Amino acid sequence: MADITTPLARAPVRLGGLVSTETQARIVCGLVILLAWELIVRAFAPAYVAKPTGVVMAIPKVITDPAFLEATGVTLWACAQGLAISIVLGTVIGLAMGRSELVDRSLRHYINGFNAVPMIIVLPLVSLWFGYTSGARLATIVFAAIFSIIINTADGARSVPREYLEVARSFRSHRMRMLIDIVMPSSLPYFLAGLRLAAGRALIGAVVAEFFTAIGGVGYFILYNSRIFKHNEAFVGVLLLAAFGVGFEVLVGWSTLRFLPWYRRDEKTS
Amino acid sequence: MLDSLRKNAPVWLSLLAGAVLWEIAGRNSNPAFLVPLSETLVRLWQLMGSPQFATQALDSATLFVTGVGLGIVVGMPLGLLLARVRIIRVGIDPYIMTLYATPMVALIPFILSLMGFGFAPKVLVVFLFSVFPVLYNTVEGARSIKPELIEVARSYRSSERALWREVMIPYTLPYTMTGVRQAIARGLVGMVAAEFFLSATGLGQLIMNASQNFDTSGVFAMILLIGVIGVALMRLGLYIEQRFARWRI
Repeated sequence: MADITTPLARAPVRLGGLVSTETQARIVCGLVILLAWELIVRAFAPAYVAKPTGVVMAIPKVITDPAFLEATGVTLWACAQGLAISIVLGTVIGLAMGRSELVDRSLRHYINGFNAVPMIIVLPLVSLWFGYTSGARLATIVFAAIFSIIINTADGARSVPREYLEVARSFRSHRMRMLIDIVMPSSLPYFLAGLRLAAGRALIGAVVAEFFTAIGGVGYFILYNSRIFKHNEAFVGVLLLAAFGVGFEVLVGWSTLRFLPWYRRDEKTS
Repeated sequence: MLDSLRKNAPVWLSLLAGAVLWEIAGRNSNPAFLVPLSETLVRLWQLMGSPQFATQALDSATLFVTGVGLGIVVGMPLGLLLARVRIIRVGIDPYIMTLYATPMVALIPFILSLMGFGFAPKVLVVFLFSVFPVLYNTVEGARSIKPELIEVARSYRSSERALWREVMIPYTLPYTMTGVRQAIARGLVGMVAAEFFLSATGLGQLIMNASQNFDTSGVFAMILLIGVIGVALMRLGLYIEQRFARWRI
């Protein structure tokens, strides 16, 4: 995280001191937020409301609870399946859109339109189609995740440097070879950015589908526990979701640096 | 004219093809699963003509505008304030980023059991969905103010007020507007989520009713309507963002 307000000329001299004050500031702010939360809840809210000490106390009990572990497994497995479907379909459609003007013009409005629609709106429809089953959740996840993959892959495939393709063509490269050896690797970073977005949205899709259809999973765990006024336990579920969101971000960021070292755009944005 | 027609022809053709495909598929499948476009449009017309539609739509609009409005009114000044005091900004930045990335839907059950079914909890949901994009982007913008700008203002002995009015606000406004665009999109999700999961009112209630009565054409009609609203709001957001983007240095 580059800090632009620090004048460059001064930076090297004060760097050692600065890092520690920044970390200190972060820790102090975090503690202040937690303390304020704790005190406000203690002073004004009923006893069942989640507070930091309560949540921390609830963690060991919840994460050893087999029901919670099963719920986590179910939700994550559904997300993995949904993402796999989205990746396969999304890459195919995205590459087609990026490389063919005709496909792009005919599909673009649908893709952008569906992407603008709040994904939560399909819940009544998928519950009509699939009933209150895990199929409804899977469909919601795919709907939530696929469009960001399509859009990003298409962007990537569109921005392949023209020279690469021209050289390949003058060596009489086959179209399929060009797709696999040039277009796909060069749109990979875009795809990863799309995947990053899609993973977060898939998780949200799974949670809202579980809220709506009351099928088992982390979302339902949160819903159920907050209904029976076990907010601390329910909040552990929220923490788990946040942890998975952040974890996936880190994983994608790390693999971009590790496997695509030539791709440096991330340093600027993150 | 003819040129633009030729250029846009694939677009119109694809929209037409989609409509025809929908119609044919709808006519040849179980009406509980898929209804043709024509029937959906007729149903939409019926729904929009019903006396309760106006009140429901107004309900949703009030919720959306109040929530997103609060999000902007709170997010922007708070963002600037946080950005101005450097040590607070540095300290609080990671937490804002975390909250920006946290799926707010997960908090809805808590809000439900704490605040019940009234208007206030729903506004809170829409507010929570929309405040963090504004806050996050404002802080990002303020962070990228060139230090020279502030130093020059300082050396001309600008007062704190002038510094805000002449440097901070104009510089961060385009960034804030990016946040506003995201807030509009997220606010719509928040609105529907609040209407689904808290108490059923507004457009959300119309969908829920249709779904519970197995009125598939009603569900399609409402999805089409909210889809169109979503696309329109996205356009509006992009317009607002681009209007201010011109200032960007």
